[in-house]
Amino acid sequence: MSGAAILVVDDEPGMRDTLVAILEHHGYRVSSAPDGESAFSAVRETVFDVVVMDVRMPGRDGVSVLEEIGDPPPRVILMTAYTQEDRLRDAVRAHAFAVLHKPFETHRMLSLIADASQAGR
Amino acid sequence: MPGSAAGGQAAGARARRPLRAVSALTFLVVAGVAVAASLITDDAIRNQDRLILRERTGEAAAVLGSAFSGSQASLQLLGTLARSGQSRARLFTAAARSITTSSRQAWMVSAEQGPNARVIAAAGSGLAVGALLSTDHERLADRALSVSGLVTGLVQEGSARWLVLGLGRSAGPGTVVWEMTKVTPKATVRLAASSPFGNLAIAIYASARPSPATLVIATTRHLPLAGVQYPFRVGADTWLLVAQSPHPIVGALAEAMPWILLAVGLLAAALVTAFVETLGRRRDYAAALVKERTASLRSAIADLEEAQAQLIRQERLAAVGQLASTVGHELRNPLGVVMNVLYLMEAGAGDDPDGPVRRHIATAKREISAATLIVSDLLDYSAGRQPILAPVRVSELVTEALSVAPPPKGVQVVQDGEPQASIDADHDQIRQALLNLITNGYDAMPDGGTLTIAAASAPGSVQITVTDTGSGMDEETREAIFTPFYTRKARGIGLGLAVTKRIVEAHHGTITVRSAPAAGSSFTITVPVAASLASVPR
Repeated sequence: MSGAAILVVDDEPGMRDTLVAILEHHGYRVSSAPDGESAFSAVRETVFDVVVMDVRMPGRDGVSVLEEIGDPPPRVILMTAYTQEDRLRDAVRAHAFAVLHKPFETHRMLSLIADASQAGR
Repeated sequence: MPGSAAGGQAAGARARRPLRAVSALTFLVVAGVAVAASLITDDAIRNQDRLILRERTGEAAAVLGSAFSGSQASLQLLGTLARSGQSRARLFTAAARSITTSSRQAWMVSAEQGPNARVIAAAGSGLAVGALLSTDHERLADRALSVSGLVTGLVQEGSARWLVLGLGRSAGPGTVVWEMTKVTPKATVRLAASSPFGNLAIAIYASARPSPATLVIATTRHLPLAGVQYPFRVGADTWLLVAQSPHPIVGALAEAMPWILLAVGLLAAALVTAFVETLGRRRDYAAALVKERTASLRSAIADLEEAQAQLIRQERLAAVGQLASTVGHELRNPLGVVMNVLYLMEAGAGDDPDGPVRRHIATAKREISAATLIVSDLLDYSAGRQPILAPVRVSELVTEALSVAPPPKGVQVVQDGEPQASIDADHDQIRQALLNLITNGYDAMPDGGTLTIAAASAPGSVQITVTDTGSGMDEETREAIFTPFYTRKARGIGLGLAVTKRIVEAHHGTITVRSAPAAGSSFTITVPVAASLASVPR
């Protein structure tokens, strides 16, 4: 299962960097983007198996990026620190693979990414 | 509210009760006045009646008196006739016959001859000329000669009783002229109803006292009469007229007047009493109404004050909640980053599971988890979101919860039942609920114990029960534990169970608790297996 291509999108450098480090530690090929616009460009240039993306970001938010790249591939796991119900329902409609509420257990995040990359194969 | 129905309640609250004192007093006073007025009127009318009777009696006596004056004049005239010339007896007789009005009437002249008195002239069915007078009659003749004016008396002659009127010396010295009328006192005389005295019962006595022996005439058998006694002069004698009125002279209306007054008075008393009573009751009713309205107003004011105070509290709470929500959200990212960092540190911490670095990392993770749970509860309470459902296995939730909140020293965790059961639930929310129950269980067993997490499937639902062997709760505590900000712990803000209940109910489930002091506590969450809410595909 290792070797899957993962894109981590978060405007918070601390979160982004630690996620990248954890995923690399588990053998994934990891890229990262600091905002929705860069994420969208990255997805158009490269084929990713899984995108792990924050919902609230400056400029385009995670849900609008999800809506534009369409459903799979890649599988999109959204992360949120906020309870924006409308936005989360939009995410569900746009076929988000899962929604993770921050702060989340690292084990749970890893198990979801494993499931998502398996589903993409 | 009590205000709207106050009238009905006031009316209903007044039980049926006897007259109040003021009403009773009013009745007694007015009725007393009525009785007094009745008695006074009765007395006045009786007096009036007696007075009129007396006047009537006097009138009757006057009429009788004048009749006797007529008799005296007749006797005087007859005496004069009897004295003149040789044919005096014939003249007397002819004159006497001419003034005779009844066969019961007789006239005569007596004269003293020696020790006796003899009849010297007579007319009518009296004594014959030459006859001696009876002893009684003789005595009367003596009196007639010794007094001036008429003498009267009753004389028995054989079976006949005569009322005799004698006028002495009118036919010459030693003579007495007599008018005699046969009387039968036992036979009552009826007066015509139209006569002036027709409505009186009358008895006439030829003496000053009412004696049967001197009774001349009576209109009733019922003697003696109890009415007015009126003595009057007949010549030299005193007669007595006794009159009684069998019916009130003043009339039936006057006689009924005391009773009419009494009836009207009592009626007035009843009316006045009813009026006073009505006024009293109205006043009481109004007073009761005012009291009720005042009470309801007070209560409304108290409610208003309470509502205002609550509003102020809520505003403060809302402001605090807003702040808490903002802070909570902003804390989530750093907490997540720290969690990630701890994960990375743990990954590079070497292989010794009991090494000091790993122990420190475990402590940091536990504290970060506690902080995360507090932030989650706070955010859920201030802005709880609807669950987003997806199929999730109970065992998975329990494992995650125990990894986030591993048991402290001395506490043993036992998993029981059917942990493979699966439900449609919001993974994070149900995990948060479980975490709250588990950490509460730990906190209830500071000296160690056993925490049992049991899952059980029922048709259509799954039960998860978290049981500790800790200090337990009394009833008062049991009822308060789901109240927000209620806590018995030194640490925590008292939102855990309130949020847990909200989460379970948002899943259309229920939460129950069984507990007793020193007997541990047991919380049971029951959630439906498949919910009708939106679910996230996995």
